[in-house]
Amino acid sequence: MGSTRREFLRNSWKAGGALLGLAAGWTTYESLRPLALPAAGANIRLGSVSTYAPETATYVTAGRLFVANTGTRLFALSQKCPHLGCRIPFCESSGHFECPCHGSKYDIGGEWITGPSPRGMDRFPLSLDGDTVVVDTSKTLTGPERGAKQYFKPAKGPSCAPKA
Amino acid sequence: MPETPDSTGDGGAVATKPPRDGLEPKMAYAPSAGIASRIARSNAWRSMFRHPNLDTPRGRALQSFSNFFLHLYPVKIPKRVLRMRYSFRLGFIISVLFGILLVTGVYLMFFYTPSVNSAYGDMQHLRTGVGFGQLVRNVHRWSAHLMVLAVFLHLVRTFYAGAYKKPREFNWVIGVMLLLLTLGLSFTGYLLPWDQLSYWAVTVGTNLCQYVPVFGKTVQNLLIGGPQIGQSTLLRFYALHVAVLPLSLVLMLFIHIWRVRKDGFAVERTSTGAFEEEATALPAPAVPANAPAHLYGGRTRVLGVVDRESITAEDRSVDDTVFTWPHMLVRHVVVALGTCATVLALGVAFAAPLRGLANPNLTPEPAKAPWYFAGLQELLSHFDPLIAGILIPTGAVIVLLLLPYIDRNPSTVARERKVAIVIFSSLLAIAVVLTVIGTFFRGPGWSFIAPWTHSYIEM
Repeated sequence: MGSTRREFLRNSWKAGGALLGLAAGWTTYESLRPLALPAAGANIRLGSVSTYAPETATYVTAGRLFVANTGTRLFALSQKCPHLGCRIPFCESSGHFECPCHGSKYDIGGEWITGPSPRGMDRFPLSLDGDTVVVDTSKTLTGPERGAKQYFKPAKGPSCAPKA
Repeated sequence: MPETPDSTGDGGAVATKPPRDGLEPKMAYAPSAGIASRIARSNAWRSMFRHPNLDTPRGRALQSFSNFFLHLYPVKIPKRVLRMRYSFRLGFIISVLFGILLVTGVYLMFFYTPSVNSAYGDMQHLRTGVGFGQLVRNVHRWSAHLMVLAVFLHLVRTFYAGAYKKPREFNWVIGVMLLLLTLGLSFTGYLLPWDQLSYWAVTVGTNLCQYVPVFGKTVQNLLIGGPQIGQSTLLRFYALHVAVLPLSLVLMLFIHIWRVRKDGFAVERTSTGAFEEEATALPAPAVPANAPAHLYGGRTRVLGVVDRESITAEDRSVDDTVFTWPHMLVRHVVVALGTCATVLALGVAFAAPLRGLANPNLTPEPAKAPWYFAGLQELLSHFDPLIAGILIPTGAVIVLLLLPYIDRNPSTVARERKVAIVIFSSLLAIAVVLTVIGTFFRGPGWSFIAPWTHSYIEM
């Protein structure tokens, strides 16, 4: 005989307990899981292309992003550093994005130059509605790999990180 | 009436009242007519304290048995445990610091709302509009820092003493979990002031999660409850900080202390030492013909069934034990007062920092993690986040948890465990150096600075 009545009951208790644990774990997860992502998902109209001068980065508060004009292309770059999530300010004097937390630097196109970040800055897709630029913040495009140097230009001036 | 010593050891007191019930030890009460003595003899008093305070061996033993708090201690302890360098009282200091944190933490809860709209204002109000508010917050902060430090030193001390070895392996594991809970408490508390310091330290800390393969993003979402740190993060951290983690820590702390009692005090033991030989050389008991076999297999009967490994054969020709009360307790009271005085002095001298209101659009320079994570942050600036942020810390915790099972060498003497000590000391030195560099030698943009030019650390 495979199992006695006692063994069967004991295993049933164990199985029941395991199921109960799974159910408790799942309901806990479901109740704690963030359901809506409130900040993301909106289409933001950014105005005419001509408002963004070449080699500048303009901050858009509504989307927490920079609109960067590399001279040849327009990018919507997420302000969040791909390394550990600090906000990356644009340094006017050097023309690079410089993260204050761990010293990652990116060029005007959001491509990685130096620092511990694993990749370039994440981007949002842009589209044109007539002459108006529209950014879709519901989709994040993973930033370019470390090797990309398409829009790189050497720093045009001093870095914004103060030297001690 | 003068007391005369007698053979019962009860101090020669005269019985004036019969025992209340069978549970009360048969003991005499002094027939003094004073009000204190009358209260001590009353039925109500004796329902709470079941025997009088007697300065006799029996009285001291009863003191320990019948008092919930003293019950945490053994009645008698070996004299060597009284020495400061036996444990440096670190475990006890941690308990005291945790007690201070509970009391000051509850006080702070009366003046704090976990809402992004009011949390920062509550901190300012605490500073200016609440009696002793700033001082209590400072003491809470300093106790938290010191608790992390003391837990760390306690772990280091336990390692060098070899006190994690059999039969105390599992208590070491619980100790490592207590270290993690302490760090968790400190980290969740860090966010609550909702200033720039807390906001960005927690941003950096929680973004580490996303490098964990497979579960990373889910864990991060559960922790911060949204796409970025906000109201739900604050509420989650608050619930973890004031309920979930303290309760877990209290439970684990009880198990930890209970096991210290059950596993006995650590003794120095060599691989072929006298202790072990004596313990195993005890003659096996005569087994009665009809005795159940499992009761006698490998066990020696000494006042009940005791695992032979847990018997520490000590030279009993001289009784080297002393009563916990008062010998140990008086030392503990002094250490507790010293701990309170230290955190109070630190709280008076150095204020807990409060920077500007948390601003998701302005990362301060530099954004530093709390000092105990500064070593990790330093590591992160050199290696890939998957290695520095996940693999190394997780690996370190797993190795620490498994240490008593990996290190099978029974000896606790330093010269017989050179390999273990050299490896541990090297890793310890690396961790300390990284923490010191990350804390004192890093400035804006994580550039290298000399600490005497400007300090970028805020406690």
